[in-house]
Amino acid sequence: MKGQIAAVIISAVVIPTGLVVRWVNNAEFRLKAAQVAPTPEANVAIAEAADEVYCTPQLKQVLRRVLKSCGLLDSGEVRGCQPADAKQVATLAGADFNALFLPMAERAGVVEFEQNRFELDTTDQSLVDKLFTDQRGASYFFVVARASPEGSVEHNRDLSKQRAEAVMGYLRQKYQDPDLDHEVGLLWLGEEFAQLDQRFCGWQRSGDAASCQSETLNRSAFLSWIDCQL
Amino acid sequence: MSSRGLIAGVLIAALIGFGFAAAATYDFAAHLDRQVHNLHCSFIPGMSSANPAGAEGCQLTLMSPYSSLFRTSLWGGIPISLLALAVFTAIATAAGLILLLQAEDDTMALFSLLMLASMPVGASLVMGAIAAFKLHAACKQCIGIYVASALIGVFALLAYRLHAAVERVPLRVTRSPWLAAVPATAALILVLTSSYAMAMPSYESFSKGCGTLLSTEDRHNVLVHLPAAEAGAHKALEIFDPLCPACKAFEERLRAARLDKRLQRDLLLFPLDNSCNWMVENAMHPGSCEVSLAVLCAGERAAQVIEWAFAEQRTILQEAARDKHAAGRMVAQRFPDLQTCMKSATTKARLSQSLRWAVRNQVPVLTPQFYVNGKRLCDEDTDLGLEYTLSRMLEEDGS
Repeated sequence: MKGQIAAVIISAVVIPTGLVVRWVNNAEFRLKAAQVAPTPEANVAIAEAADEVYCTPQLKQVLRRVLKSCGLLDSGEVRGCQPADAKQVATLAGADFNALFLPMAERAGVVEFEQNRFELDTTDQSLVDKLFTDQRGASYFFVVARASPEGSVEHNRDLSKQRAEAVMGYLRQKYQDPDLDHEVGLLWLGEEFAQLDQRFCGWQRSGDAASCQSETLNRSAFLSWIDCQL
Repeated sequence: MSSRGLIAGVLIAALIGFGFAAAATYDFAAHLDRQVHNLHCSFIPGMSSANPAGAEGCQLTLMSPYSSLFRTSLWGGIPISLLALAVFTAIATAAGLILLLQAEDDTMALFSLLMLASMPVGASLVMGAIAAFKLHAACKQCIGIYVASALIGVFALLAYRLHAAVERVPLRVTRSPWLAAVPATAALILVLTSSYAMAMPSYESFSKGCGTLLSTEDRHNVLVHLPAAEAGAHKALEIFDPLCPACKAFEERLRAARLDKRLQRDLLLFPLDNSCNWMVENAMHPGSCEVSLAVLCAGERAAQVIEWAFAEQRTILQEAARDKHAAGRMVAQRFPDLQTCMKSATTKARLSQSLRWAVRNQVPVLTPQFYVNGKRLCDEDTDLGLEYTLSRMLEEDGS
């Protein structure tokens, strides 16, 4: 009888203890195996800037060249590109240069200035605000200013530069964004390169929606966030 | 029923209780590998639940801070079910010995069995009340344990009363080897818990976290600051989506463990909704962009908006999945004063900057993520191991 009692008591201690230790040891074995094997974490996406389908290798190449030559990619300073620089770095005909931006129709807008003026009126400012605050995952904001052909080439070059800088000045004053100088690329094309044609009439514009003349379309600054990883 | 029959009833009920407690302890111990496992959530001990939804109550109970003791000292703590395992073993042993020694007429044997039986009955009353009133969860394994405990209590009480009625003498506690049953049970609890604790793997390395933030600088004022409940609280950052069920569950665990009191949290809004977040293809949590805008606009009332979003989470998600403007309408109804701010382009830009903060830090696209001193709490340590790992991370931060 004593043997049976001892067997019952020993079983009562050994069986649950053995089970518990075995379960914990199995978990330890799996834990060590998981540390050696790649974790599911490796498959989790990492947060990154947007890279839309319109970001073709050709567009990226042009944008990279423009951004680098215009001082954005390396130094992080806004220097801006003159018409000669833009032509050189884009290595594209004006029409081809403009065609690269066509897929951004939903994202871009054209701020139209009065003839021979570079000040932003309230309608222009509203369009700048609307476009600039809708950054989403974009990394760079392009301001491409132009001038219509009236006046001398030099005057129009200066005028388009003033238009680009007017937009930049407004952004700087309104948003005080510490990243502004790393994000905004300025190009001024004067009347010399990549004039906008009728295809851009349907885009968001600050001018009279009812009329769209080539002259008014090019007294402008084209604005767009670029959803491409460069 | 005869006294022997009642003791046999105690033995059978204790073995059933042992089965449920063993299944619960097995499930708990399985999670010591920091992975996700199916549970044996069934009214038949050891059987898996055929429907994963049926295991929801067991899952909630297992992950709750009431499922174990000493959670800040040991990863996951000592499961309560392990104590139940020891007590059911002791009761089954005592009942088995009474039958073996034919001690059904021994007053002290029956008294000791009654004493042992009071343990699972008392524990079941406490744990059942917690499950019903605090967790609002029905765990089949736990119910099995409560029923087994009740049967043990009833059979042990009937056996004792039957004996007392026959003997017609008041209880007089005399020296008897049966009185060793209670201390022996305590010793068995000690053996099982210490074996469990000693067999556990080391988790020290996991408190070093899983990844770091590249920069916590907030140049665009995108972080939402939640006030600290206590002086000397540790600064922490949570990447967060107000309509993410995992974020809500994480918040509940933090509160249940009272760890929220030790934190001064900054929230980075990261809605997993493609209407504002370009990093996700679908609206995993539809409406969360709208609710995130409300949180940004709420300023010092941010916690109030989050509380509401958590409380109404299921409804908002359901409505927003049907109609993408539904979440905006629900926010407008509850917080009408936030409407102008929510619609402003500046607030939308701030939410974009919040997402871009995540891009700059190259964090994973998931929520919640919890950082202390720039170090990320591993996802595997956000449930059972939360108290252990986070306490260590906070200690390290303090030192």
